[in-house]
Amino acid sequence: MTTNRMVHDVAIVAMGCTPFRDHWNSSADDLLVDAVGECVGSVPGLSLEDVDAFWVGTQGTGLSGQVLARPLRLAGKPVTRVENYCATGSEAFRNAVFGVASGAYDVVMATGVEKLKDSSQSGLSATLPPADGTDVDWTAPAGFSLLAPAYQAAHGVGDRDMRAAMTRVAVKNHANGALNERAQFRRPVTAEAVERSPRIAGPLGVLDCSGVSDGAAAAVIVRAEDAHRYTDRPVYLRGMSFVAGSGAGLASGGYDFTTFPEVVTAARQAYAQAGVTDPAAQISLAEVHDCFTPTEVVLMEDLGFSERGKAWRDILDGRYDLGGALPVNTDGGLKSFGHPIGATGLRMMFECFTQLRGEAGERQVPDARLAVSQNLGGQPGSSVAFVAVLGREL
Amino acid sequence: MPEQNGIGAYAAYLPAYALTGTSLDGAEPPPGGPARGVAAFDEDTVTMAVEALREIAAGTPAGRQLLLATTGAPYDGKTSAGIVHEALGLDPGVAAADLRGHRSGAVALDLVLRGGATAALADVRTTRPGAPDELAQGDAAAAFTAGDAAAVLLARAGRTAEVLDRWRLPGERHDRVWDERFTAEILVASGREAARRALAEAGLDAVDHVVVASSNARAAAALRRALGGSGADAAVERLTGHTGAAHPGLLLAATLDTARPGQTILLLSAAEGADAFVLRAGDGVGSARGGRPVREQLAARQDLAYGRYLRWRGLLDVQGPARPAAPAPAAPPMHRRAGWKYRLEGGRCDACGAVTTPPGRVCASCGVAGGTGGGEKVTLRDRVATVVSVTRDHLTTMPEAEVAIVVADFDDDGLGGGRLSAYAADVEPAAVTVGMRMRPTFRRLWTTDAIHNYFWKLRPWGATTDDD
Repeated sequence: MTTNRMVHDVAIVAMGCTPFRDHWNSSADDLLVDAVGECVGSVPGLSLEDVDAFWVGTQGTGLSGQVLARPLRLAGKPVTRVENYCATGSEAFRNAVFGVASGAYDVVMATGVEKLKDSSQSGLSATLPPADGTDVDWTAPAGFSLLAPAYQAAHGVGDRDMRAAMTRVAVKNHANGALNERAQFRRPVTAEAVERSPRIAGPLGVLDCSGVSDGAAAAVIVRAEDAHRYTDRPVYLRGMSFVAGSGAGLASGGYDFTTFPEVVTAARQAYAQAGVTDPAAQISLAEVHDCFTPTEVVLMEDLGFSERGKAWRDILDGRYDLGGALPVNTDGGLKSFGHPIGATGLRMMFECFTQLRGEAGERQVPDARLAVSQNLGGQPGSSVAFVAVLGREL
Repeated sequence: MPEQNGIGAYAAYLPAYALTGTSLDGAEPPPGGPARGVAAFDEDTVTMAVEALREIAAGTPAGRQLLLATTGAPYDGKTSAGIVHEALGLDPGVAAADLRGHRSGAVALDLVLRGGATAALADVRTTRPGAPDELAQGDAAAAFTAGDAAAVLLARAGRTAEVLDRWRLPGERHDRVWDERFTAEILVASGREAARRALAEAGLDAVDHVVVASSNARAAAALRRALGGSGADAAVERLTGHTGAAHPGLLLAATLDTARPGQTILLLSAAEGADAFVLRAGDGVGSARGGRPVREQLAARQDLAYGRYLRWRGLLDVQGPARPAAPAPAAPPMHRRAGWKYRLEGGRCDACGAVTTPPGRVCASCGVAGGTGGGEKVTLRDRVATVVSVTRDHLTTMPEAEVAIVVADFDDDGLGGGRLSAYAADVEPAAVTVGMRMRPTFRRLWTTDAIHNYFWKLRPWGATTDDD
């Protein structure tokens, strides 16, 4: 199976991202207006009138393209709503990219939004179609916590080492988020706080889980050759792949819960398009889907950053810390920045965009040239996965 | 068809939990006191009927009846036996019907013995917390198919006595009870008369086993004395409580567990009158049992704390997590996928032999389309699976602080394996580990919008079988 680099290369020339947090006083409409406003406002002379087509990603905050068209009062524009679990924001980006890469449009916008805090429930909520009632009513942490015992059994990792690696992921991402004014949680957490937090599912406590928050993000995408008409620091899309898993991991034997095969495939394809042959050495920084701490452990291997069975060790060695060889989730990740589902994929790109433009301030990764944005949804055994490689140069 | 009226096969199902103390003040129960069997929070009369019948009822021929006798059916109006029928995969030509009330167990047995029916007698009994007979009531199921291997009917007699003994209005949870000294007199008189007639018809002066089941403990004791019983039935009852409509079946099953071929049994059930059966144990009684013997199941039970029992029964309203109720199932998908939902049937691929769960049109293993309806259906419900990974849900919508959820792979056995994500049952969540062996058990997952959602859970293998 192959996926090809697109006929037209594309670039991101503007982005916007609201703070992710409990936006008690803002609606989803408000958040979209804020993110789009920041995005368009960052390019002098650019207006919404110049955008030919729009995509909006949301899982449960609204239906149809009117989720975006109505709050912005867009007149006479095509707006498409997309949904792909927690990879929804990336899916909005991907489809917007195709709009430009195909030659159909010159300027497109990808947006994502989610309003989770207007419900009184903890965790995520989703409305599912009528069913036969035979599916386990997993919480998201329960589904992802399956990774831990399976990973330990497969690689001979003891409880103490696994706990330490998971804790390090949480502590690292909160430390990064503390440097980020847009992050939901601005205070670093201690290892002790992580490990003493109330249990949610299996070995996961509250502080092993991503933040439930409200937020929105937006990006303007144009053909690469047009990019410098909008900014002198465009960020180029070097490779991009998306895989919707068949769900076979839950429907038949063989899948062992130590990997996301969907991520492995998407990464391979995105790397091939981007000319990345040794991700561990070539990638400057990565935004990855740390929905729960063991997810980030496994993703370090799926993305080719760590050898199989060694990610826990590399994490403990500080390889993925802000000052490490390959900083991961420099903006705080889902863990600390928060996870308004439809916005998260674009939030990851916002950090890559910021870092590749050298605008990340205290969090800046020196000489960041290539960044990975990896986003997934579903659960181990039945997930959807997006991987993009973004570069300072084409 | 059986050669004679009688019982071909039988099975008892005792839930895995026993309650011995009912002190709200935390006082320890006196040692050697009575116990009651307690159905787990995910069990009801339908699930217990399935567990009792699953190993003996497969061959029920079309034209027969499947009966569910109970005082506590999970639905009013809707026939609960239909759910049992579906879970057992019986021929659609087998009629399914509920029998209700305290006398329904004995009547169902009569319909097995004389009419060739298949029956489950199942009950979940509650009282108000602190009621004098709280420990004297209990939960169990027993099941019988027609035939003559286990026992042959020699004679029967019945008496009807309309009396206000135990009753409750629709929608009420607990029986009300009239002064049992008054009803005992009536039940003893009915019981003695029914037993006398049945023994006379059988031409017997004495029997090898006397079994008395009565919803009135005073009447049961008097009848046992009067009929010269050994007390073996009372000993079982002291460990289970009176299990309502299931009780004559449970005590009969416990007796058949020990009866030798040719021995005679007087089974007397005294409720709203009396039903007496004189049976002779069949030549095949030693191998007519499905599942484990009653006493073995009783010995394997776990003690249950009173607070947990109250929570399970909804007698204590406990704050749950800030999480929506589990969704209610919908009728059309339940109907379309009845094979999967009720019998745990996966689809076996014609091309590669792998099992896909739930069954689908395209094999999850090799991706080959199996044509409309997929390939061969294989039931996973009686097979053994090994835990691949496990988690513990601490935000459960069930009346438990946590539940274990596992992904488990069924043994290949040349049948293609199969994978199931399921809740663990009858086990402390912390005790479930990768590699543990488990076996499906039919349970009620939850009830939302007045729809009971039945499906299979996984129970540690050792708790469900003695053949390893």
